[in-house]
Amino acid sequence: MNETEIYEKVVGLIKPYAKNTESLSTLTQESKILEDLGVNSARLVDIVLAFEDEFDIEVEDEAADEIWTIGDAVKLINTKLN
Amino acid sequence: MKSGQSVMPSSLSTQSLTSLPLSTKLNLEIQRAASRCLFVFFGPLMHLLFHVKFKYQVDNLKELRKQYKDLLKEAKGPVLVCTNHLTLIDSIIQGVILSSIPNYLLHFRRLPWNLPEKKNFYHKLHWRMVCYLGKCIPVTRKASPKQAKESTDKMLYILNRGDLISIFPEGKRSRTGIVDDEDFSYGTGQLLKSLPNTKVLCIYMRGIKNGGFANFPSKGERFHLSMKMTTPTSELKGLRKVRDLSIQVISEIKKMEEEYFEHEVSSRK
Repeated sequence: MNETEIYEKVVGLIKPYAKNTESLSTLTQESKILEDLGVNSARLVDIVLAFEDEFDIEVEDEAADEIWTIGDAVKLINTKLN
Repeated sequence: MKSGQSVMPSSLSTQSLTSLPLSTKLNLEIQRAASRCLFVFFGPLMHLLFHVKFKYQVDNLKELRKQYKDLLKEAKGPVLVCTNHLTLIDSIIQGVILSSIPNYLLHFRRLPWNLPEKKNFYHKLHWRMVCYLGKCIPVTRKASPKQAKESTDKMLYILNRGDLISIFPEGKRSRTGIVDDEDFSYGTGQLLKSLPNTKVLCIYMRGIKNGGFANFPSKGERFHLSMKMTTPTSELKGLRKVRDLSIQVISEIKKMEEEYFEHEVSSRK
């Protein structure tokens, strides 16, 4: 799976949890999940668990703490997969 | 002691944290000692405001205080108090209901610590004072992992030393007036995962006359409060365990709410 495919899947998994729906139209790798998308910390846990299920990976608690942007998530998943 | 949207740190990491600096421990002990000394003054003040100024009443007050005392006596190890959240002063109301002033003075651990959001209560000196003396630890919503770790360390220290911490598992006041068991915080699970032997005192509280979401309960309000001690456990690992433990707590409070409304409906028939 290449990075673009991962990015698209990541965005798809985050979208249902985004409270700031306006920002969905201007998403980039740099978009901050908590601040820009209005996702709260509990839903970020749900998102990380969704990553685990979707990509069949395990995200350690410390690694999850480092996910601030969509790009961080993509990079982490890409590293785990490849 | 005024709570208002008490929050939990937002770090996802749930490692057991024991690296609280000595100076921070000392500060917490000083805060606790100051609070205990001055409780002689602000304790009665809270009770006066509760009973005289706002004319609040409580159903089965004596029985509730006895139940609280008995449950804490039975519980060995750390106890986390988890309550539904409807008004800005839920912590104060809960504090006044759960124990008498003499009882708090004799057993100061029974007055739970609170976790108000920093930006709501720490911008004015008088509120900072109230929070300091009311055993509050300010926390920041959407905190950095470092800030979250500091707050979690403090909470674990407090629980480990035998004091109680009161949190609102929903993470915010319920705008609908009923327990939000869909969009709630996982902070409770984070704490429980870090301190596995922690018991949870689930509390359901609401005004009987005009209960529901409000900044302040209406004058003359009568309160219902029910409590149940639980020990959430989970075989899951990592964040799944955090979520599972949080769900168990919120589900228990939701169940208590359903029991309250069932009783309300049947008593009206």
